[in-house]
Amino acid sequence: MITFINILILLVIPFIMIGIIKKTKAFWAGRKGASIFQPVYDFIRLMNKETICGETTSFIFKLAPLISFAAILFASLFVPLADGKSIIEMPFAFIIFAYTMALGKFFSLISALDTGSSFEGMGASREACFSTIVEPAFFIVLGSLTVLTHINSFGSLKYIMLNSGIYGYLIIALIAVTLFIMLLVEGCRVPVDDPATHLELTMIHEVMILDNSGVDLGLITWGSAIKMFLIESLIAAMIIPANISIIYSVPAFLAVIFILSVIIGTVESSMARFRMTHVFEFIFIMSVTALIVLTLVTYSIYGN
Amino acid sequence: MNMYFISLGLLLFGALISLTVKEEWKLKICSFFSAISTVLLLITSFNIIKSGKIAAKSFYLSSLFGDVNIVADSLSAFFIIVISLMSFLGVIYAAGYMKPYILKGRKISGHCFFLMMLIISMLMVVTVQNSLLFLVVWEIMSLSSFFLVIFEGDKKEVLSAGIKYMVYMHISVLLLICAFALLNIKTGSLNFSDFVYAVSQNKHFANVIFVLFFAGFGIKAGFAPFHTWLPEAHPAAPSHVSAIMSGVMIKTGIYGILRVLTILGMPTKFIAYTVLITALLSAMYGVLYAISQHDIKRLLAYHSIENIGIIGIGIGAGLLGVVYSNPMLAVLGFSGGIFHILNHSLFKELLFLSAGSVYTKTHTRDVELLGGLIKKMPYTAVLFIIASVAICGLPPFNGFISEFLIYGAIIIGLPAPNIFVFLMLIVSLAALALVGTMAVLCFTKASGVMFLGNPRSQAAKDVKEDVPPVMTVPMTILAILICLIGIFPQYFIKLITAHVSAILQGSMVEQIMNSVVNLTGSISLLCLIFIVIFITVFIFVSLMKKKPKEYSVWACGYDKPNNRMQYSASSYADLFISTLRVFFKRISHIKKPSEIFPKEAYYEMETEDIEEAYILKPLLKIDERFLAMFEKIQNGNMRHYILFGLIFLILSIIGLIYIG
Repeated sequence: MITFINILILLVIPFIMIGIIKKTKAFWAGRKGASIFQPVYDFIRLMNKETICGETTSFIFKLAPLISFAAILFASLFVPLADGKSIIEMPFAFIIFAYTMALGKFFSLISALDTGSSFEGMGASREACFSTIVEPAFFIVLGSLTVLTHINSFGSLKYIMLNSGIYGYLIIALIAVTLFIMLLVEGCRVPVDDPATHLELTMIHEVMILDNSGVDLGLITWGSAIKMFLIESLIAAMIIPANISIIYSVPAFLAVIFILSVIIGTVESSMARFRMTHVFEFIFIMSVTALIVLTLVTYSIYGN
Repeated sequence: MNMYFISLGLLLFGALISLTVKEEWKLKICSFFSAISTVLLLITSFNIIKSGKIAAKSFYLSSLFGDVNIVADSLSAFFIIVISLMSFLGVIYAAGYMKPYILKGRKISGHCFFLMMLIISMLMVVTVQNSLLFLVVWEIMSLSSFFLVIFEGDKKEVLSAGIKYMVYMHISVLLLICAFALLNIKTGSLNFSDFVYAVSQNKHFANVIFVLFFAGFGIKAGFAPFHTWLPEAHPAAPSHVSAIMSGVMIKTGIYGILRVLTILGMPTKFIAYTVLITALLSAMYGVLYAISQHDIKRLLAYHSIENIGIIGIGIGAGLLGVVYSNPMLAVLGFSGGIFHILNHSLFKELLFLSAGSVYTKTHTRDVELLGGLIKKMPYTAVLFIIASVAICGLPPFNGFISEFLIYGAIIIGLPAPNIFVFLMLIVSLAALALVGTMAVLCFTKASGVMFLGNPRSQAAKDVKEDVPPVMTVPMTILAILICLIGIFPQYFIKLITAHVSAILQGSMVEQIMNSVVNLTGSISLLCLIFIVIFITVFIFVSLMKKKPKEYSVWACGYDKPNNRMQYSASSYADLFISTLRVFFKRISHIKKPSEIFPKEAYYEMETEDIEEAYILKPLLKIDERFLAMFEKIQNGNMRHYILFGLIFLILSIIGLIYIG
């Protein structure tokens, strides 16, 4: 039953999450904004549209969105969802998560290069480059948590408080910051990237998918929404206390997702995109917070 | 064991026969004999691994060598499988690759002979347990590979790369001689089995011996900072030779290190840290420089350094597990490290072979001149992309399995007994993640720029068809193995379980080993789930999708984009490299456009190895200056030479009297 709810949440909520972000942005801009179900309608519209491919593209271009989407779906099996448990429990789950995500990224990068366009390679280059900073920080955080909680999967996120005493809140806050920056980078949100921009030279993710259309584009938008949703779920897993019954945990989970989406919308409305050189500095904040987490964990274990 | 000798004999026989037949038949003969011996060797090795028995033969060679032990234990058997299979596929590929050279009238007898000698010597290196004979076969291996590297020795850069390789190999062999000599002085024996006792008594002696061996074997394996021969020798050699060298030969260095570890018995902390730190350095250094390369074979050579580093991280983690008696860490670390040897040789060989296929068709190794080859050479392109995904360690291919085991080792070991181990392991964890993502950057660049997009030069445009089956078949076999190991690792991991249990020798090891096998079993299940998800998505999309229409690619409203306007390999890597510019020495050649109607203008950028530029070259300069002082001795005057000889004789007599 709960698995079924989880799968339903996994497939549907990402759209609504994007809808909420857009609604929040509209609210801050003083507009009425589209319905929060608009992304669902967009998706259905894209699914019915015909697909157009560049003349230079090969079958990689047609296959890549499918592989990326399948990879994201697969990765989502390991993330703790509404009941605080993932669909498949597995030791070292975060490695499988990161590596399947990377598989999806690999194919979206080469599909961008497959168009032979003068712009798409630029986006691919940026995306590849930024993930080299994101991944180590992510691994340092989860590695530290493994030591803290003696759980070597995402389950460790739930037990930070139990094991770290007074540092608990600080560690949770820092990890939340780290994951939130990761969310902005992976989800291509302001201030890293602007999903609504119309200038190819400044885009990151959007420029990679300039030539995708129809079903492919639908899958890509769905996939990147799920990706954002998964990172939000990681933050949620950390905040919602462990061992509460499903009746409370599902609404709590949805509430956290809602709040995080509102925060993203607010950040997007209150900031401008960074210049490309500053994006690096921004992402490096993630490494710094990850290292602080590491220091705190090290101190709390080996300090005495 | 007899089958092992028979197959060595067959290989030697094949080498000799190939000298006598016509040029076109040489490589076919070699392939034939190599095929038979590979079958025999595979049967022997599987038997050894399955039964867990050690096959050994001992005979008296001469008074100099003493008793020679030829031993094939589980470690040797594993290496024999890797060596025989990879070299066999390499030899078949060679039959297609060398054809254009034969048609041009190039003689290849030497090449065939040394190719077979290389295979024989590699097979002997992993079984001989007599130090003197080991050095002999080691030297045969280095020399025969040197002759293979300088196949196109009429080109100056090939020759200089070959000589560089030769010099490095002799530094390596010098260190090994020192180490074996020290052991011989201590024990009076040449046999590996006699060394065990002598070394285990004295910790400092063990450390000294290990450093000598590690440096010696490390040069062969290509650990940074002993790696600079790799990026020179691999591009210079013909592709199947680089494939065999990078896929198999450098692994004999790892074999040496593993063998020495079994001799040393209980490793010291110093040894564990040395291996781990060197490995981390190699992994980072290799991939960092790979990103900046435009020559595909240089790029792959740097990736060999990276992967040797990953193997080393596994072994280093395993050693830490032994030192701090954490059996789970030890088992996972060693399993991951040793399993990565097999995996790396598979995908690296495939990458080199497909790079070779591209080279035969386009005659260039510069990725900036390629592009769009997937339409002309679909097989090669798909195989290259499979190997690229595998080398990045992404599921569902084989690279993921071994990297996953190494990650698992590190994470299991993280709740460490003291802060240094903890920090060391967490640094390794972050480094592996960093190396993985950088590999993704590097291989999206390589596969994207070489095979996808539009052709960037006339050479790439002129390609008509894919390479012949004689070249694609060995590549396909490699790709199938890559997929099989990726999806069903639980059957292949058994190749190494015997050895890992043998080196660790604990009561719990068997049990932990079983749990590792189960872990790989569950990965296999996950891979199948992934494939099912993919197929579901695929069916879903093919139902939804109408037949796609083709239009020109969006170029920001510009109507006539040409192929030169594509994103190039340099620009793809530039954002990353210029962010980390402190680690590179970049040399740019610029010719700016001038006059009113500018004619020629270019901008070229190359990256020099920082170790070569700032450490080796200055050192060589000092060395040159020092040696120049002795120029006076060589003055061409015969009487002086006789005088020198006399002085030497007198000194040696005095020395002898003094000692005796």
